[in-house]
Amino acid sequence: MNLELVPAYREESIREDGMLFVRTDGILETMVKAPLILAGLIIVAVVIPLQTSFSSTRTLELVIYSDGSTHVSTQIDVDPLEPDFELDLFGKSIDNFVAVGDAGFLLSEEIVEDKAIIDTLGSSSIVIDYDIHDLISKEGRVWTFSFDSPSDYTLLMPKNSVIVGISGLPNNMEIVDEQTKLDLTSGLSEINYIFGAPINSTTHKPTILDESLFNYVNVVVIVGTIVAAVIGGVLMLKRKQQKSSPSIIQTESISEKQIETKSIDTETIFSFRPEMREDDKEIVKFISNNGGQALESELRKKFLQPRTTMWRAVKRLERLGIIEIDKKDLQNLVKLKKDLEEEK
Amino acid sequence: MKKIASFVLLILVSSMILGGMTNPAQAQTDPYILLKIAKHAQKQLENQINQDSSDKIKQLFKDGAQQIKVLEESLKNNEIDLAKQHFLSAMRIFKEVSQQLSINQSSPAEMTTLKATAEDPSADLLRMQNYVDNLRTIAKKYNTSVDFSEIDDLFVTAKKQIMDRQFDDALQTISKIKQITVDFNNKIREYASQQEQSRAKEYAQKYLEQLDRLIENAKNKGLSEDIIQKLETARENLSSATDPHEIIKQVREIISIKEQFALTKNDRLESRVMQIEKILFTLSNSDKLSQSDLEDAKKTLQTIKHHLSQGEFETANELLRSLATLLEQFQD
Repeated sequence: MNLELVPAYREESIREDGMLFVRTDGILETMVKAPLILAGLIIVAVVIPLQTSFSSTRTLELVIYSDGSTHVSTQIDVDPLEPDFELDLFGKSIDNFVAVGDAGFLLSEEIVEDKAIIDTLGSSSIVIDYDIHDLISKEGRVWTFSFDSPSDYTLLMPKNSVIVGISGLPNNMEIVDEQTKLDLTSGLSEINYIFGAPINSTTHKPTILDESLFNYVNVVVIVGTIVAAVIGGVLMLKRKQQKSSPSIIQTESISEKQIETKSIDTETIFSFRPEMREDDKEIVKFISNNGGQALESELRKKFLQPRTTMWRAVKRLERLGIIEIDKKDLQNLVKLKKDLEEEK
Repeated sequence: MKKIASFVLLILVSSMILGGMTNPAQAQTDPYILLKIAKHAQKQLENQINQDSSDKIKQLFKDGAQQIKVLEESLKNNEIDLAKQHFLSAMRIFKEVSQQLSINQSSPAEMTTLKATAEDPSADLLRMQNYVDNLRTIAKKYNTSVDFSEIDDLFVTAKKQIMDRQFDDALQTISKIKQITVDFNNKIREYASQQEQSRAKEYAQKYLEQLDRLIENAKNKGLSEDIIQKLETARENLSSATDPHEIIKQVREIISIKEQFALTKNDRLESRVMQIEKILFTLSNSDKLSQSDLEDAKKTLQTIKHHLSQGEFETANELLRSLATLLEQFQD
């Protein structure tokens, strides 16, 4: 049906111009047959605006949080004739995904890896919001935002951050509520930033100094006396657990109890495993605060560690008998063990 | 005739070229922004370099500062391209300075950030706040009975705990917020799914209308009975579907048939018709368009649909463009 127009013109042009490649003067009139080209150009001119009006990003805004995660907010024009829309996400570690269609209706979606299939059902414009943990990495104290954008976008940097490296040229920069906002063009951008000295030096460093003093001076004296008591406590707890039938179903009240006793639990773990690395201790603390379990992906997001590094850390903790790894929805669920003595 | 055609050709080509040139022209960088960014970085790094810093770091910093000087000079001389090069050089050097400084202080710095990340849950709280705000807007849209007062109180508590540096307590509060948010999300999605069904049916109805036009056009063009039969069967299946997932499945089936027999030619026009219908619906609920104008627009849309069913795509497209241009004026 759509081919009917073109062959008709072609046949006509061949009949009219038998000397197609012979004449060199007036070649424009012979080779470039105006009606054919005109029709082609009209089609191109007509189609271009329509093509750009469907499935195109209207706005894209990124906000970087201080812990290295990023909020993505985008408005996309989609084809209202299509029942769904496949959105390319900017990574695989996605949280808090919300897709809203025309008139603010919540749209159903299915996220598979770095794609989201959104049931648009006739919407012509959708607004997407989600948090992502894949755009920023950290080396030492230098944070690096790396992003290959399909369109121009705005980027709001975290408070107290200072850009110390940038691979491209921003279109604009302004300060919004003490935060730097950049207008950037499509394509690959890399921005390196650090946090300003006042915040780190005045707030966190003294705390760490105090903690390190506590760790290395007082620990020797205090822990020695506490450890014996704690070990005794743990042994008693274990006996109690063995006597009473353990409840498999995890209820809210149980998790609350676990949270209440978490500080004792972590201290017990640390006293049992003095050889533990400091960063592993932080992971254990986080799992404990999280109700005694966390997905490995959550740990990666929290500590901004690559997949392999976190996997090694989890394996280390498993070897130490501190955690056990279960599978939940094809993901690794890392759980603090209830009984340390089960492991050597 | 040829002269007219050539003239039209020239206008079309010129408009395309000029149209293509507008976007890059808008994307020009204000060069003084570059100076501002570079100076911020310089100032920050200057504060961090001290007597103990290595000679390499000091030298690199000097090089970076020199690049800023020449960047400033280039801007004064209006040598923008040169200024951009100096900016990029300066930022490359400052990145290296930061990395070197980071290596020098690697263990304490690493610990600082790791601990800060693990302890201070401010970013986590902010993320949840944004998410809950999003859910709140949607909940209002659906007139749900979801009560946000408890979660609002928890946000206040968590903020206070963070201000008092009680990070463990704040983490527990945030954990509660997350649990409540999961419940909210489920409740709102329940409401949404009820409305999704009616939206899906409405969408299916619109799709059936355009499918009818396609079938009519196929019949007019004398397409094979086999193709028409397939389309009509698919039409029956779609009209009997009620579940949103089933509707999507059936529409996908129709799209596959259309692609198989090269019947997608007028899909873009049909998409545009659907867009225009949405605009008309929005305008009909406002006072921007008079009743008579609205009626005229609806009539035009019906004419467009008729042209589409008759396979008169160019006429339909012209009318569609005129109508879209007219409605755009009222939209703003």
